[in-house]
Amino acid sequence: MNAPLTPGCDCPPWSAWVLDHLQLGLLVLDAEQRVVFANRWFLQHTGLTAPALLQRQLDEVFEQLKGSAFLYSLTQAVASGFPTLLSQTLHPAPFPLYLSAAQRDQDKLLRQSIRIIPAGLSQVGSMDQRYTFIQITDVTQSVMRERLLKAQASKLKALANVDVLTGLGNRRLLDDSLPQLVRLVGKQGAALSLVMFDIDYFKQFNDTYGHLAGDDCLRQVAGVLRQVFRRPADLVVRFGGEELVAVLPETELDDALALANQVLQQVRDLAIVNAGSRVAKVVTLSAGVAVLQPGTASTPMNLLQQVDQVMYAAKSAGRNQVCWQPEAQ
Amino acid sequence: MTLTELELDALVEVFNVGVGQAASALSQLAGDTVRLNVPKVEMLTKQGVSSELTAQGAGRICAVKQEFSGVLNTEAVLMFPVQQSLQLVQMMVGDDVPLEQLGEMEQEALAEIGNILLNSVVSGVADVLKLRFEGSLPCVALGPVQDVLGAQGSLDDMVLSLQIDFAIDALEIQGFLVFMLDVESVASLKSTVRAFLESLS
Repeated sequence: MNAPLTPGCDCPPWSAWVLDHLQLGLLVLDAEQRVVFANRWFLQHTGLTAPALLQRQLDEVFEQLKGSAFLYSLTQAVASGFPTLLSQTLHPAPFPLYLSAAQRDQDKLLRQSIRIIPAGLSQVGSMDQRYTFIQITDVTQSVMRERLLKAQASKLKALANVDVLTGLGNRRLLDDSLPQLVRLVGKQGAALSLVMFDIDYFKQFNDTYGHLAGDDCLRQVAGVLRQVFRRPADLVVRFGGEELVAVLPETELDDALALANQVLQQVRDLAIVNAGSRVAKVVTLSAGVAVLQPGTASTPMNLLQQVDQVMYAAKSAGRNQVCWQPEAQ
Repeated sequence: MTLTELELDALVEVFNVGVGQAASALSQLAGDTVRLNVPKVEMLTKQGVSSELTAQGAGRICAVKQEFSGVLNTEAVLMFPVQQSLQLVQMMVGDDVPLEQLGEMEQEALAEIGNILLNSVVSGVADVLKLRFEGSLPCVALGPVQDVLGAQGSLDDMVLSLQIDFAIDALEIQGFLVFMLDVESVASLKSTVRAFLESLS
């Protein structure tokens, strides 16, 4: 069913067989850009027969090629005589090639990498006219593989920002995000609040009930923070051992204080017994709130130091309470 | 042997015809106006090109290479600092997501962009100077400038070096195109350019 090679040619006896079994598409065009040969791979993947193609222009057979970048490149290549590459990235699938006829009605076009090679000056001498061949490689697998790798890379990147114990963000996420959030305060003209929480008498808790119980306590406290700070822009991270930080964009002091007090209340309500505590019978938190108002210059480092200081002020003042600093200086 | 100022100036004109064709092909592909300009053409040693690129902070470059043969034989190497090659591909693809590295598919896209540019430039030269060349398909090379340029021959070899300025939207990218020429090829380039200049006067 294939186009015969030029009759009477002195090509080797195996050439037709090789061309027909190549695992890539091959088209040969004459000087008028009419198809004079299409290999079996190309016919199988287009679902065409040789007579439907031979002696016809490519855009007569494939309507979608009319006015396409492929046709433009073909014309340029033939005019200049220089080999030309069409990448999958810039032209995903110029030809209607499918893995099998069954997939024709599905959206399973093969991704194609195409090379257009006009016969060079030295070869034209041994030909009756200047031929051009088009080589089409199926790169669908490579495209899928790269897509998978990229997806995995972004997944790994996301994982690198997660605290394994609590499932909250980690210190790295805070360090990466805070500078941008601080810059936005000036840009958007809205206050940024930071709340730092610390579990009271956590060392005693661990000493009394063991580290596994301590881990569980941290997870439960983290759960409360996740529940209270649930606006999409809120960022909650485990800052260090038993210190958790919430970064709240577009949040004024009053709201931040209310939310912090809500967290303290909900943690007391968990009623996790802590016999080592000297302020309550159950696990409690101390918290500090710092607010960065628009128009005030501050750095992420300063802001963290301030919130750390007010949190320690809450500790000194007797724990189980929220302290604040009205404006980050 | 080298080229005179006058001969190099003539080449600036000739190369600008070629990049003009490339600009219209690239604009069509990008769906946006791509402007290309060749401000200068020089004869330099490979070492000189390398120093110039390194001075611009381009330690690692991305290159598209093609061979051309005919009256003169040359390997054409189009080079971009890696960061700029990423921007170029991103602009051509019209993607919003910044690329972090050149994957297999992005490298192929860069090969296509380089192929369009190199074919247009060499066709432009061939048309104006009435020469005929055969070309190869492009291949991509990544690495330090010295490695990419010094793959063959010595770093003291002379090359014909073009600076190419790309402008797409607000983005401006500088690329370098060098033609590796052996002594005979420099001689035939010189005599071709001379004949061209005489034909003008």
